[in-house]
Amino acid sequence: MASLTNLDPATLKRRSFIYRKLAAAGAEFAEVNGGAVAMRYPARAENEMAVARRMGLADLSVLSHGGFKGRGTVEWLTRQGLTIGADSNKAYVQADGELAARLAPTEIFLLDALQGTGRLINQLNAAWQWAPSAPRPQQGYPTPRQDSHAWFMVTGEKSAEMFAKICGVDLRPQHCPVGTIAQTSVAKMSSSIIRADLGSTLAYHLLADIASAEYLWTCVEDAIAEYDGGIVGLAALRSLQA
Amino acid sequence: MKIMNCPLNGPRNISEFAWGGEVKPMPDPASLDDRAWGDWLFLENNEAGVVREWWCHVPTSFWFIAERNTVTDEILKTYPASELFKERVNFAPSAKSPQAEKK
Repeated sequence: MASLTNLDPATLKRRSFIYRKLAAAGAEFAEVNGGAVAMRYPARAENEMAVARRMGLADLSVLSHGGFKGRGTVEWLTRQGLTIGADSNKAYVQADGELAARLAPTEIFLLDALQGTGRLINQLNAAWQWAPSAPRPQQGYPTPRQDSHAWFMVTGEKSAEMFAKICGVDLRPQHCPVGTIAQTSVAKMSSSIIRADLGSTLAYHLLADIASAEYLWTCVEDAIAEYDGGIVGLAALRSLQA
Repeated sequence: MKIMNCPLNGPRNISEFAWGGEVKPMPDPASLDDRAWGDWLFLENNEAGVVREWWCHVPTSFWFIAERNTVTDEILKTYPASELFKERVNFAPSAKSPQAEKK
């Protein structure tokens, strides 16, 4: 496919910590909400959606992600229009496809939808205000994650089998329903995994400390090779979800 | 690998946990000299038998309590700290603290 855009990620202020690795792998970047996102890998012979259905790895770190924490957090977010269930370690889908991941009774990690408008997280950050003086209402506090957490997505029918090599938690679909969160260790790094299928394709979000993003990316890239996996762009994930 | 049951996250490899010391009743810091406070803070009883300990699930920084047999290294029970600590501890300024001196 001829490329209509050939955006140099360095011209944008927001880039992934691993954008050089993505560029070296042949990524074509596009602007999403002011950031450079690896959209597709045009040089690859095989259709990207076919790769993603089998065993794909994508970097979504540039898309909006953040959170809120502390007593009153869930009540405050509910007043802002979010729908959050009672169980911890469950992710709840919001109106426009964003995810509210309940990591603990009073901690919510928010992930933007694949469209990447950032609307919900921007709106919540703008709405949250610290009361000028005590007694302050119990409404939690923001926990900015944009620059602290790398955000990858692992997709395809071989994902659970691949995770079994680098993670101790049983993520097979029958033991890990959609929306399940596993906060555990992946390739020896503390990580959160959230099952979030794309249409009928098995898929998991993978979040971990951004300072080790290159390390984790390399580990997962190595782990998917056994299953004939490959790096895929955001465009393929969007198509699978549609 | 040895498995421990985290009260928040469920069964996990023991490598995901960090030990945090024995659970010991806190003496009143205001009526204690520094040496006795240090002893409470840093010295362990190191008992042979079933002990109650603090453990942390590192990926979530979740602290909880485990009952473990130190002879067999068998974990008997894990539960949230809220089962043991039901009330907030309020520290009154001690006679030696700078705030108290100002008064």
